[in-house]
Amino acid sequence: MLSNEQLEGLGKLLADKAKVAYNARSNLIRIDVQPEALKEVALRLRDYGFDHCSSVTAVDYPKENRMEIVWHLSSYSKPELSRYTAGLVASVSRDKPEVASLVSVWEGVIFLERETHEMFGVNFVGHPDQRPLLLPEELMGIWPLRKDYQLKKRREDLFKKGGAAS
Amino acid sequence: MTQEIKTVPFTYEALSQLEMKEGILELQIGPAHAGSGHMRILAWVEGDTVVKVDPDVGFVHRGVEKLSEDRLYIKAIPMVERPSLVDTVNANLGYVIALERLLGLEPPPRAQYIRVITAEISRIMSHLYGIAIYGIFMGSSTVFMWAVADREPFIDLLQELTGARITYSHIIPGGVRWDLPKGFADKVEVALRYLENRMKDYEKVWINNPVVVARSAGVGKLGAEDAIRLGVVGPNLRASGVKYDVRKNDPYAAYADFDFEVPTFKEGDSYSRLLIRVEEIKQSMSIIRQALKRLPEGKVIYEDYYKRMSPLMKEIYDKTGRVKFTLMLTSLSPPKGEAISRVEGGRGEMFYYLVSDGGKNPYRFRLVTPSFRNLPYFTHVMPGHKLADIPVIYGSIDYFPPEADR
Amino acid sequence: MMSFLYFIPNSWLPLLESAFYALIFPGFIAILLLAFFIIWFERKAAARVQMRYGPLWVSKRTGGIIQLLADMIRFSFQEFIVPQGADFIPFVFLPGLLLAFSVLPTVFIPIGPDYSRIFPSNYTLLLAVAFTLVIPVYLVVLGWAADNKFSFIGALREAYLLISYEVPFILAITSAFLLYGTLDLVKIVGIQESTLPGIMLNPIAAIVYVIAVIRATGRVPYDIVEADSELVFGPYTEYSSLMFGFVMGVPYIELYSYSLLFSVLFLSGWAPATGIGFLGGLILPGIVTFVKSVIVMCFLVFLRAVYPRYKLDKAVKAGWSWVFYLALIALFLSAVVSRILW
Repeated sequence: MLSNEQLEGLGKLLADKAKVAYNARSNLIRIDVQPEALKEVALRLRDYGFDHCSSVTAVDYPKENRMEIVWHLSSYSKPELSRYTAGLVASVSRDKPEVASLVSVWEGVIFLERETHEMFGVNFVGHPDQRPLLLPEELMGIWPLRKDYQLKKRREDLFKKGGAAS
Repeated sequence: MTQEIKTVPFTYEALSQLEMKEGILELQIGPAHAGSGHMRILAWVEGDTVVKVDPDVGFVHRGVEKLSEDRLYIKAIPMVERPSLVDTVNANLGYVIALERLLGLEPPPRAQYIRVITAEISRIMSHLYGIAIYGIFMGSSTVFMWAVADREPFIDLLQELTGARITYSHIIPGGVRWDLPKGFADKVEVALRYLENRMKDYEKVWINNPVVVARSAGVGKLGAEDAIRLGVVGPNLRASGVKYDVRKNDPYAAYADFDFEVPTFKEGDSYSRLLIRVEEIKQSMSIIRQALKRLPEGKVIYEDYYKRMSPLMKEIYDKTGRVKFTLMLTSLSPPKGEAISRVEGGRGEMFYYLVSDGGKNPYRFRLVTPSFRNLPYFTHVMPGHKLADIPVIYGSIDYFPPEADR
Repeated sequence: MMSFLYFIPNSWLPLLESAFYALIFPGFIAILLLAFFIIWFERKAAARVQMRYGPLWVSKRTGGIIQLLADMIRFSFQEFIVPQGADFIPFVFLPGLLLAFSVLPTVFIPIGPDYSRIFPSNYTLLLAVAFTLVIPVYLVVLGWAADNKFSFIGALREAYLLISYEVPFILAITSAFLLYGTLDLVKIVGIQESTLPGIMLNPIAAIVYVIAVIRATGRVPYDIVEADSELVFGPYTEYSSLMFGFVMGVPYIELYSYSLLFSVLFLSGWAPATGIGFLGGLILPGIVTFVKSVIVMCFLVFLRAVYPRYKLDKAVKAGWSWVFYLALIALFLSAVVSRILW
């Protein structure tokens, strides 16, 4: 479990820019940051020792009209940090989801951000290559992983209308 | 103080400028190709040297993340384990650990040990498959046939345990579904000894084969800092010299009780990626033997779930060791929150992120597979090598398209 | 049974004999059956190594030996597709030319001591080698004629390899010539019968010859031209139907020519048997030579089960470095041994 000193150290590092919270049950550190301060916080975290970005994803909250873009970080080189995962969360509005790309901080996120872009429609500003990766070109603009694309309903409509795709 | 990494923009303008330069051939090593798997590798070749590679993935994208939002938590288990087709137990394990962290329960120790045993058997099978694919991409069908046939004793073991050959769905929240049958430990020992004998054959015919060494030594080199920068995982990372293994760095499911090493190599070329898989097979065998020797007694399902079983289900469990699903398991509603879990699959670190809003289906399920993390090998390591090195590098990183595309 | 010969006019006998040799025994039908056998052997031997059965069900009692016939029947039911951008005449007709030139060297290589009746010449070694050297050029043309980038790359690879391995091959043949002092293959076998087989007189030339043959016929580890996992099937990618079966079989017939030359040059041809037997004293020695070359072919074909494929630049480099040096050593060795012999 994350000790109090480590948590305080992390809190002090990002004092003015982000809010740090720790969930002991799932061993997850949650760092909430404003989209403007995202790159600064990311660079500080990388120099602190979080040099491993495991995942980039977005969670869609249509009822609150926001999306949370989250980068999950851990550490390759520092064993005391590699036990923990930190989730760097930036909340953006659903109408224009735009956030700075962190490819210049961790180069490994280049494919992860590309996938999040094509699934959710998030524009990563500064990403060198935002083409669709897994989805075909025709599905661009539909952003399938958002909550308003309902797979089950599409399947039921398919059967109701007797085979015609809706 | 803080330095940003410069990346080269990949735009179509830059690419067409490249094509105008004479002598550059665009090759589509496409899905219908003997050396490509379920993906397309777009390679720009100047003479015999590869200038740029663009992996065109997504041919087997099934949308596991979206489909899970329509399924009950327990029904998502068979779906989640299917992308990593040769390494299903680790995929299963990761999802269930994330779910258990959401629910806030811990399975009993005997279940943890059984999870470790099946996960290590799955890792051995995954590494054998990786060696097989490496061989066939280099043109030797012998080692392919041998390695795929040597998976059979382990498939038989797990078939006796669970009834299925490849996708077991053996691990459920709260424990496992089947207890070990009688005589299982002896059968495991027989299979491990068979594999140890076969490893000697592999060493003679494949690992010390001069053509293999000539073809793969020095090819696809990736240093330790570059590996960390590109974010690759698994045996590829350890072959580049970074000692990172989730079983040691962030132990889960009773791995903290076992004594095993994490081998690393310095060179980071294709040959060391082959050698490290052989070493890891040996380590897995040692873990399985330790686990079988120290297997604790007890139930294989969480005590609370056992109490809620009907008398008939309890009788079936006591007689055959089979756990039947109660209504509680099939209608799990974890409290609101989020959880992550990481497991070390055969190919690398699998990452799971579950967000629950209190309902019966996951609100958001994120799965990052090791093959997806290893994609930078195509764009950053392959350029500069010869055309004939593309299958060698591809086969050595054990890239599995269904796992990467999910 | 020989009595029917009395009824045939004398002037027809040489013609009948030539027809027999050309069509039946070391000729057309024998080579076809040999292709069947060697492809079956390759698949069966590799299967035994790889813990599986290989061809089995086609004719279960004989272990699947007519598998190739079944494959050919299947191929003949497919559609023969000529790509739109391909050069029609080379694409369709070159494989036939390839086959012709693969079989042609066997006309010059004697199978018995009396062969000079059939093909009288003092320069049979030179002729046989000259005809084998034409084949790779056709392959390069074939790779260009198919409108496919992979065929094109395969043709380029063939050009590189052809140039780098031709020199050691010629040097090996030259060392054999230097060793025996004659270009007449019948006399060469005679020399081997009286002294030692060529492989003991100059083993290095034999090794260099074998390496060059493995390269020329595209056996693993030198199947770089038709590399399965890099270029789908090299220059032969676009073929379908019977032509596909054809181009798969032609390398084996090339292999037969080279192996026949090897067994005559280095394994002393028909050595234990001399001119006994009917039909002019060529059947029994012919069978012995044939069996020797089949054994050489079986060895070369078995390498598929052992090695993966070489890389192009390393193979070309090897051809100009150590294989070349070995060939020079073979030449030197020949000079020394021939001085001792004569």
